[in-house]
Amino acid sequence: MAADTNKFVIPIGPQHPALKEPANFEFWVDGEIVTGASVRLGYVHRGIEKGAEARTWTQNLYLMERICGICSHVHATAYTLGVEKLAGVEVPPRANAIRQLMAELERIHSHMLWLGVAAHEGGFDTLFMYSWRDRETVMDLLEKISGNKVHYSANLLGGVKFDITPELAAEIHKGLDFLEERNHFYMKVVTTDETFIGRTQDIGTMTTEKAEFLGAIGPTARASGVARDIRVDAPYLIYDQFPVKVMTHTSGDLHGRFIVRINETFESIRIIREILDHMPQGELTTRVPRRIPAGEVVSRVEAPRGELLYFIASNGSEKPERVKVRTPSLCNWSTVLSLAIGLKLADMPMLLSGIDPCFSCNDRSISLKRGQQGPQVWSWEKLRQYGIEYYR
Amino acid sequence: MASTIGSLGAAEAVLKPFATDINRPQPERLEVSIHPNDLLAAARALVDESWGYLSAIVGLDRPGQPVTQGESQAEGAIDVLYLFCSGAAVVTLRITLPYSQAAIPTISGITPTAMLYEWELREMLGVEVIGLRVTEHLILADDWPVGVYPLRKSFTGFNQPVAGAEGA
Repeated sequence: MAADTNKFVIPIGPQHPALKEPANFEFWVDGEIVTGASVRLGYVHRGIEKGAEARTWTQNLYLMERICGICSHVHATAYTLGVEKLAGVEVPPRANAIRQLMAELERIHSHMLWLGVAAHEGGFDTLFMYSWRDRETVMDLLEKISGNKVHYSANLLGGVKFDITPELAAEIHKGLDFLEERNHFYMKVVTTDETFIGRTQDIGTMTTEKAEFLGAIGPTARASGVARDIRVDAPYLIYDQFPVKVMTHTSGDLHGRFIVRINETFESIRIIREILDHMPQGELTTRVPRRIPAGEVVSRVEAPRGELLYFIASNGSEKPERVKVRTPSLCNWSTVLSLAIGLKLADMPMLLSGIDPCFSCNDRSISLKRGQQGPQVWSWEKLRQYGIEYYR
Repeated sequence: MASTIGSLGAAEAVLKPFATDINRPQPERLEVSIHPNDLLAAARALVDESWGYLSAIVGLDRPGQPVTQGESQAEGAIDVLYLFCSGAAVVTLRITLPYSQAAIPTISGITPTAMLYEWELREMLGVEVIGLRVTEHLILADDWPVGVYPLRKSFTGFNQPVAGAEGA
């Protein structure tokens, strides 16, 4: 019990039933009602920003992709766009079209993953299994393009590695038809199932004013009527030629966040079809110098969870002076902590998942096993043995 | 682009009274250097004008130049950049803090989003954020040594065991 408030404090996490990734929350409750909340992050922090300073510009491309397994492409895109701007390099239009196509496929994959997780947290495991089964379709398409389901690694500094052949385009069209049909079904469930509506409508409502005040971004903000989307506000790649419509909702509650994300999936499908039908011709790459001219650049893209910002500083050498990554999940935490107040403790899992939190987003530091001499590289077998011994 | 230029012009007019230097590093960016004492007023001026939102706080370590014979080493500094965005326009408030005076006031009372960014800045670069109420760690381990800031250029890892740390 917290002495100063005379209320019970319920610590949840870092290992807990609400989320599959580690974070620690403290909810202050009065009976069942939450009266305060705090968060502690960093349990899987990997030191990527520090690590970037010791790696070359090219090596960092692969490091940045590994910030997140769900939106690896958008991280690499933000990074490459920033480096290319510093280098004064113009990327061929076909490369930018393929980057955008991959980004929208990734958005579909991310939104369908979220739909499953959010449904699961609300107790709708059938919807979770349906959406994750169907999500395999978009992952299979990504694999057909790149050879990988998760880390597609499509970007290069100066272009892309993979082309879209007519055969691939036909397969993508076919996959999109299936995904579109399935998303119509999801929309029907989300908007007509009485139990589902009961668990989402008027829960965690955030007004437009509050969303703006708290600095909400991405679908979380758009579900509160904030029409903020970097693809439209500051078009990059070829979003000026293939523009997206900003999907908003006015309800501001969990229900609105479901509707916005499903509508965004439809919009991604529409844009991918347009790109495939009007794919620019030409080269896939252009040359980028090994040393990047000194300077500072801000690179902003719309990740599936919202605005992703990279600040990159170069000192003119083969390695960056600083790479700062501000991920979307970090912006949306303050909305959760604020919206939790007044809700029931039982609503917390869905409220937390409502912002589509990503812990890869938050945590980017090296886990140093201190007390050992010098840097360590462990083999898989050694790591496995350590785990066995640790938990013995 | 016209709206971006207009937006940057509006921000420049608001921030001019606080500026020690103004430049446009890219067409969509305005960078305004200010004195640390003017941070609250400058941030308040942008928020009162409803100019965009705080998108990020970036800390840059700028160590002092290596010692040359007969001269003392220049003191290093931390640059703290407050990035505000409105549409495509990005306005940066740049503050330079010498190591010996690495302290700034919190702006979380003006824009609550700042809290997590300031918390990260304090932990990773050792900038004291005056008025930031949180005292525990956000990212670093509970037993992380006091006074070690991983994003300072001087930090190159732990070469010696840390007393009391797990596995020591």
